[in-house]
Amino acid sequence: MKSISLYVDKDSYLTRLHPFAKMVYILAAISVPLIGGALWMYGLFLAISLILLISGGILKKVFPLIAFSFTILITIFLIHGLFNNENETILFRVGALTFYREGLLYAYRIGLNILNMLLAFAVFVLTTRPADLVDDLEQMGFSPRFGYMITSVFQIIPQMMGTMNTILDAQRSRGMETEGSLFTRAKAFIPLISPVVSSSLINTRERAIALEVRGFGSKNKKTFLREHRLSGGDKGFMILMALLIAASAVWRIVYGIH
Amino acid sequence: MNHLFKTRLNAATFVLIPACIGINYLGKLFASVLKLPLWLDSIGTCIGGVLGGPVIGAVCGAANNLIFGFTTGDSITLVYALTSLGIGAAVGIMARLGHMEKLTGAILTAVAAGLTAVVISTPLNVIFWGGATGNVWGDLLFGWSQSAGLPVFLGSFLDELVVDVPDKLITVLIVFAIMKGLPKKLTSLYDVNDEVEILD
Repeated sequence: MKSISLYVDKDSYLTRLHPFAKMVYILAAISVPLIGGALWMYGLFLAISLILLISGGILKKVFPLIAFSFTILITIFLIHGLFNNENETILFRVGALTFYREGLLYAYRIGLNILNMLLAFAVFVLTTRPADLVDDLEQMGFSPRFGYMITSVFQIIPQMMGTMNTILDAQRSRGMETEGSLFTRAKAFIPLISPVVSSSLINTRERAIALEVRGFGSKNKKTFLREHRLSGGDKGFMILMALLIAASAVWRIVYGIH
Repeated sequence: MNHLFKTRLNAATFVLIPACIGINYLGKLFASVLKLPLWLDSIGTCIGGVLGGPVIGAVCGAANNLIFGFTTGDSITLVYALTSLGIGAAVGIMARLGHMEKLTGAILTAVAAGLTAVVISTPLNVIFWGGATGNVWGDLLFGWSQSAGLPVFLGSFLDELVVDVPDKLITVLIVFAIMKGLPKKLTSLYDVNDEVEILD
């Protein structure tokens, strides 16, 4: 069964880095440019993310992620480049379309922000196994009930996808049209989704009973098969990121907004 | 009114939430397989709200976006965790007020959920994407509003309004149809007003 997680099973220093350290990296990558307010800070973190991704050998996996947001990036550039309210200085023309400097600069800043967020998240997502993340969260005192909730999403979705394909095939073999005009496609939605939804809701009852029988509601303290503590390297990395955030605040106070 | 926010936190609700998140994922998948111009990614959140009440609806919504944001690398979804939370809570409150019993009530619920989504999403759109939403129809309208010289905020509001309200309307109607077909032995698991009698 295909997992929905993008985790790449590859032993590198990034996969060994504690998930919390990678979360602090995301926090730093997003907050430093926002607090510091300078454009080069986006560039700095884009470069750091790229270096991390290349050194972890997972750069190839990032491209589909970027491609996903590519349409929205293009929309932002088109709308603001053409129609932003503050547009004054003409930059260039393509046929009948005139692009303006102010709008493109605004779109440029937003585009950098999106790319920066995407890459920072990619560092985390591609190198962290969801089950490990939940395990580490629980060891830090996160409720095991919520932990179960998260892990079971990853079990349920592949199962539901299986059911969905069966239903899609079954309905098609009965002659239901799933291609064609918008109306035909919209009409196909309900006979496809409702059997999956009903069956998965009905399954929850059995799951709930199975869980209760196995002591899901037990208040005893849970123990762990594998203890995962923050290593010296993890702590050093987190302190470095905290220092970067502090430095960006100092930068903002000294230089103001650019 | 007394039971508006009353929530059960037993095994049944902790199983319901992942199922709802799965349903959200499927809705989105089907919408993209059939190339529908809607998101339809909050069917599960609405079911969570109707069955478990506003708190479970809100948890479903927020958990949905957080889980997908942190595992599928889609940081766009992550931003809208707040919106999903609002939708789940809105549907939950309307359902607890008894609006999901009839078709007219369901439409009212859909409008409430849609407006909640618009109000929460618009500032997020403006902050993160400069007002665009990534939906073709909405963004065409946004482009037009910008060329007509309307402020970004109003343009983005309209952009979100034309996409979100029809989207939530269809979502809630699907949920309404599915709810009618669920067996009583399942819905009774989540009923907060029942009393357990013990034979001793």
